[in-house]
Amino acid sequence: MRKWLVIARNEYRILTNSIRRIRRYFPILAILLLVFLVGFLAPLMAGWIYGLLHDEFLAFFVSIAAMGTMQLVLFMFFFLFITYPVNSSLKDVRTEEYEIFLSAPVKPSDVLLGKFMGILPLYAIAIAAITGFFTAFLIPLGIGVIETIIIIAVFVLTFLSAIWIGTLIAAILRSRLGRTSRGKDIGKALPLIIVLPIIALMYALMGGGLTQALSDPGTSGTVQTIMNIFPSSWGAGIMTLFAHAAINSIGVPNLWFEVLIRFGGLVLFFLGTLWLGERVASRAYSLEAMSFTASKAKPDGTFYRTVRSIGGGRSFGTLLVSIFKDYGRRFENLSKIIYVVGLLILVSVFFGMDRSEPGSALVMGLFIFPFLAAFVVGEVTVRGKESLFLYRKAPGGEGRLVKARLLQSCLVVFPIAMVYSILSLILVQNITILDVLIFTGLLLLIVTGFVAFSLGLFLLMPVFTDKPAELMGNVMIVMITSIVVFVVSFVLIKDFLGSLLLFTAIVWMLGTAFLYMGKMNLSRIE
Amino acid sequence: MKVLIQTDRLSKYYGKGGEIKAVDNLDLEVYEGETFGLLGPNGAGKTTAIRLLNCIIKPTSGTARVMGHDILDDDLEVKRVTGLLTESPGLYEKLSAYEFLEFMGALYDVPEDILPRRIEELLKLFGLQKRRDYLLEGYSRGMKQRILIASALIHDPPILFLDEPTSTLDPRAALMVKNLVRKLAEDAGKTIFICSHILPVVEELCDRIGIINKGRLVALGTVDSIKKQTRKDTLEDAFIAITGGVRKKELLSWREQRGTSA
Repeated sequence: MRKWLVIARNEYRILTNSIRRIRRYFPILAILLLVFLVGFLAPLMAGWIYGLLHDEFLAFFVSIAAMGTMQLVLFMFFFLFITYPVNSSLKDVRTEEYEIFLSAPVKPSDVLLGKFMGILPLYAIAIAAITGFFTAFLIPLGIGVIETIIIIAVFVLTFLSAIWIGTLIAAILRSRLGRTSRGKDIGKALPLIIVLPIIALMYALMGGGLTQALSDPGTSGTVQTIMNIFPSSWGAGIMTLFAHAAINSIGVPNLWFEVLIRFGGLVLFFLGTLWLGERVASRAYSLEAMSFTASKAKPDGTFYRTVRSIGGGRSFGTLLVSIFKDYGRRFENLSKIIYVVGLLILVSVFFGMDRSEPGSALVMGLFIFPFLAAFVVGEVTVRGKESLFLYRKAPGGEGRLVKARLLQSCLVVFPIAMVYSILSLILVQNITILDVLIFTGLLLLIVTGFVAFSLGLFLLMPVFTDKPAELMGNVMIVMITSIVVFVVSFVLIKDFLGSLLLFTAIVWMLGTAFLYMGKMNLSRIE
Repeated sequence: MKVLIQTDRLSKYYGKGGEIKAVDNLDLEVYEGETFGLLGPNGAGKTTAIRLLNCIIKPTSGTARVMGHDILDDDLEVKRVTGLLTESPGLYEKLSAYEFLEFMGALYDVPEDILPRRIEELLKLFGLQKRRDYLLEGYSRGMKQRILIASALIHDPPILFLDEPTSTLDPRAALMVKNLVRKLAEDAGKTIFICSHILPVVEELCDRIGIINKGRLVALGTVDSIKKQTRKDTLEDAFIAITGGVRKKELLSWREQRGTSA
């Protein structure tokens, strides 16, 4: 058996481990599902939507915005197919597996091909579903059989290129980052940062800014020119041209020449990525040490001296500083803060805010800051039970842990909340300094309540691994709680300030109760 | 005696200008059928040496021949004739023991008509036959180590590299591994290269030992000859004499601060 096939089979086995009982029937089940999705559901949905929005669809495909929109949509899928293998790989950045391959008589290019082929069956399901749905929406425009086949080939080539690039980047990053603790930490931090551009693009489309730019003859051309750098745009162009030609009875001049150029470019790009992967595989799978520089702690500066003073100096101050250092020196933690702040900025930029009164200017913060509080506090248990047992062993350790974590989390979240509050409030018409102080103070009180609530929750329902899925369970509880409390407060009291005060009171009650229960549970964890 | 492993000024340097010498001008010969032990403190260069000899990393200078194959020019053949148990091994935890050995066998080109039987035999030898279909994630450390040794043996290589083979094992499993190493050397004629800092294991198993410190080979010979060279009664004392250690009078010096209380 060829080596890449051995590795591909192994990879497939690992990926389908959770369904090993039905693994044998999985391909048949997947095909049946796809037949249902592509052969039945997609045409049904397309027919139904066409029935409702027939004229709008036709108008869209002949409009100036069609090309740019299709380019962006396909780019988002292209980007997702690149980042998904990267993110999956970064969740567990270890290079021990490389030692197996590197000590065996296997060529690095075989390892890369094997990894790619191993994950392909699962990606093929997504590729087939996306292709099926897009095609189902394009066929009713009157696109012929040859055009349909070309469109399917466009999707397959675009996504295969993306997955291949993603697999290669994942291998390189794993090899580079997995060899040092610092690298592993960066590896855990990257997935959250990587998704921010695609969220920005989505928000830009949803929030209207980009859609308007694409509809504007002045800016649409610029967007298209920029997007044409990406191979996904070449395929998007083919689809738009076919749709345009099918709707427009006059046809499109030089249609097949343009299609040939774009499709040829896509084929060349795909072959180019394969060639490049083969060439750099030996660098992607390598255990050569990159750096022997160990991270070194600097003497405490003004910041840590201030933190120590806030903790009252002495042993508690030292404890607070230690917790702060361990938190702040992990890129993973910083990436969570960057992610939430990024979301806050994106939401503010693309969706705007009601700035008629101070309370409404801060509404978005009421939902985002609980999210940030949960992310910051979630660190308390992820290093495992052993890290908690350190406190259990020390006299009065549990109480000191709770106090220190509460204070440390507040010190992390407060500056962000203050900056957000001030920037949001100064844009409100006729705002006074007193208003800014009152509403900023109120926001800080709410944030404190959520920090306490999150800390209590994480101690009550500890997450002992840094796996995002488990962490997100508790984060979602905090988020849902913030929404429920918000709705209850605003239903009970119609006045904005009054409901905000009620919101604060409820959050504080929840925070106190959960913190108490969490502390009790801390001494019971075994 | 036939030389199976021969290093020629083998070196691996890291950092700017190569200031970190992980392995420095290593000249070594290991004979056919011999069990050779490479001893050294943590960070001495043992694992780097093993990685170089298994073509996992490339030397900065110098070279080595493993069963006549040059590690620079003929890496695939070197890999084919060696089996490696690494110190921090990669295991596919979502595979069963059988599946993992099947995968390793296929990687090392074990013929398909031989592989299933060999896996069964190895599982039987390591007492894991009843757990062959359990996922490796549920195995204890010792059981995982046994599977890894089995995977190093799956293609029946003439040369075996074992990096800290007993460090994670309980006494019973460690004894089994020691007996196996002895059997492989005596009855199957394997050449075994062991890296360890557990001195009794090396003393018990190895025909000859080398002591490496800061990348340089600082002693080479039988255990008795090294004890004689250093004029020490035990290998432990000889090892400390060669590589350095903490003096006894320093052990409680940290208590000598006066006027402080815990």
